[in-house]
Amino acid sequence: MTQVNDILDWNPVTIMALLVFCLPLLSFIIISISKEKHQVLMSWLASLTMLMASLLSIAVLLQAWSEVYHTKFTWFQWAEYIFTMGLLIDLPAALMLVTVNFIAFLVHLFSIEYMKGDEGYKRYFAFLGLFTASMIGIVLADNLLVIFVFWELVGLSSYLLIGHWFSKEKAAKAATKAFIVNRIGDIGFVIGLSIIWLQFNTFDLVELYSLMGNIQVADGMWISASGSSLSLIWLTVAGIALFFGAIGKSAQFPLQIWLPDAMEGPTPVSALIHAATMVAAGVYLVARIFVLLNIDALTFIAFTGAITAMMGAVAALTQNDIKKVLAFSTISQLGYMLMGMGVGAYDAALFHLFTHAFFKAGLFLAAGSIIHSLHLSNQANDFDAQDMRNMGGLRKSVPVTFIAYVLCGLALMGMPIFSGFLSKDAILLDTLTWANAHQSMFFYLIPILGFGSVLITAVYVSRQILLVFFGEFKGQEVKSIKENSLLIKGVLLILSIMAIGVCWSINPFYSEMSWLMSHIEIPSSAFDIGMLSASFAPSHLMVSLISTSLLLTGVVFAYLKYRPEGQYFRNYSLETLKPQNFWQSLSYENWYLDQFYQTVFINPFHKITSFAKAIDTHIIDRMVNLFGMGSVIFSYIVAWFDRAFVDGTVNAVVFLTGRVGTATRSIHGSKAQSYILAAVIGLIIIIFLIF
Amino acid sequence: MQIEFYFLISSFLFAIGLAIVVTRKNAILVLMGIELMLNAANINFVAISQSAPDVGAGQFFALFVIVVAAAEAAVGLAIVLRVYDYFKTIDLDNINELKG
Repeated sequence: MTQVNDILDWNPVTIMALLVFCLPLLSFIIISISKEKHQVLMSWLASLTMLMASLLSIAVLLQAWSEVYHTKFTWFQWAEYIFTMGLLIDLPAALMLVTVNFIAFLVHLFSIEYMKGDEGYKRYFAFLGLFTASMIGIVLADNLLVIFVFWELVGLSSYLLIGHWFSKEKAAKAATKAFIVNRIGDIGFVIGLSIIWLQFNTFDLVELYSLMGNIQVADGMWISASGSSLSLIWLTVAGIALFFGAIGKSAQFPLQIWLPDAMEGPTPVSALIHAATMVAAGVYLVARIFVLLNIDALTFIAFTGAITAMMGAVAALTQNDIKKVLAFSTISQLGYMLMGMGVGAYDAALFHLFTHAFFKAGLFLAAGSIIHSLHLSNQANDFDAQDMRNMGGLRKSVPVTFIAYVLCGLALMGMPIFSGFLSKDAILLDTLTWANAHQSMFFYLIPILGFGSVLITAVYVSRQILLVFFGEFKGQEVKSIKENSLLIKGVLLILSIMAIGVCWSINPFYSEMSWLMSHIEIPSSAFDIGMLSASFAPSHLMVSLISTSLLLTGVVFAYLKYRPEGQYFRNYSLETLKPQNFWQSLSYENWYLDQFYQTVFINPFHKITSFAKAIDTHIIDRMVNLFGMGSVIFSYIVAWFDRAFVDGTVNAVVFLTGRVGTATRSIHGSKAQSYILAAVIGLIIIIFLIF
Repeated sequence: MQIEFYFLISSFLFAIGLAIVVTRKNAILVLMGIELMLNAANINFVAISQSAPDVGAGQFFALFVIVVAAAEAAVGLAIVLRVYDYFKTIDLDNINELKG
């Protein structure tokens, strides 16, 4: 293969981006080696580094607005293959960089208050730094292999932070579950990497982009520019396998089971990792490898996303844990993004990623603020401060949190003039265009699932707001519940301002006017995707009207069913609430996926292992024992043989020698000197005889 | 000087050594006799090496014999010491354990 791995020099932008990567890493190292008594100072220092990183990343974004910056250098060489690593900063990467850093900064600030007095305070902030650094690594890396390394690192830090309260059994189990389920997705990632390597001998994204531009498809074969050819099916397999990594990380069907359990971690962590950034890494990965995906892989992605969007929304309907509702809604929204990616709405999906990151982080931090207030008001009593059955009527006691929650919640629903409307609308419009282009009823399933999820999202968000903030307080109140400190309120307000559409688009009703979306270019693919051609586009106004009316229907329905005066609200307490019919239990148990895996994979696996154990103890151990006994018996026989025959022979020789010695020693006459004399005389005689 | 003189000297020395070894009863004196005999051989080596001085093998052999003689004396004296410890005598006539 030709030498395509040129080295690209550093330039000011990439150096700045490298600095952005190093700052949180530095915070991780400094906090790790600092003393426990300095931990509060250190947490402020960590927030300061994150602020600096955010400002730097904004500078990077301004530079990367219209140009792509790429720096790479040789990492290592193996045989004739050169592995490079480097930074690739295009517009999505720069935007992602700003989002990650800014939200990480806000979460750092929030955590200073939220984690106050926690015994793992120092460890918590150190791992936040580690997570942020690895996440920035994914965002900036120009190389699939390097992305995979950081991919595993965010998995590790996610594991460490979910298991922050590892002495709680549930948290420890949730951390393990998240880790293992992510590994299952990573198997796909590794398979995808292997296929890409086999075909192109490089992992560098920019090279892959140009190589994918030069491939030829002939006779069902996939021929790269260097002449290597594989059956075309492998291209689809590579795309789907890489996407499988995203399924694990972004909690898509069928691997979404880990995310609700991950809510055992501290709430700011849920906001940062399990809502805004890490779970969006899957979507970001799909965006990075977009040109590698052919039409079959994209269709697969679209269907996975649409199904997950629906399943997540349905599962969010009946949850009682305030964070679990948000977790399922995250799953659902990530499904939206991947659905958007799948139908080729690259720009809309990324746009939704960014708007979602802000309003979902806002929702999680508002939930965290509520949980914190409840804990402070009732420290001694061991009640579940995350259970909505212990809440109600909180709008009077925590007004700022209430406002933030409602603003971000409206954005999540996709209410016009809020940010979620812009991005969700763009995705829905593109799904409908795509379905129109396919001319087949089957493909309308995706827009139908998308619009259905809008309705359900409106219902569960309204339900949550009604149950948490309206009516009367249901928990046991010791001290009166108070709003949190200015720090928390400030963070919440910043995030809720970002949930308002004007921040993202001059015209908050029209996503094409968005400064962000109009700048993201859909990468040109070797395949004629052609599904978003304008001729199939439905009326934008119609799509907006349909989604808005579905949304309002959902809100009205939710108000009628869950209003404070209603029967549901009155019955909603720890004692009386049970799923009443099949559909409610289906939703509450997240489509029985956990139970399904328990029955289909874990239980048979347990059976196999106990069967293997039985074979081990009863057959293999017994064989080994028998063999051991046999060799002991055999060695007794050998020992007897040794004594009787081998030793006997030796003893006989010794005895014989002794006898011969005794028999012959009487010849000697104890006159050594006379022997010498005799020998000399004999020698002289011999000499004379010879000469 | 004619080489026969060396031979005469050395055979004279050898004869004296042999006489000591055969007649004296003290084990240490017997060892000294052996030393004389070895040195008689040394004289022969050095004398003959005169006829081929470039090779030097005879002289070298004489040195070698001296070293071996030193080792022999060390071992011999050690044996004599052990014998003295065991029999409380070094008179060769009285050391007759093997006698049947």
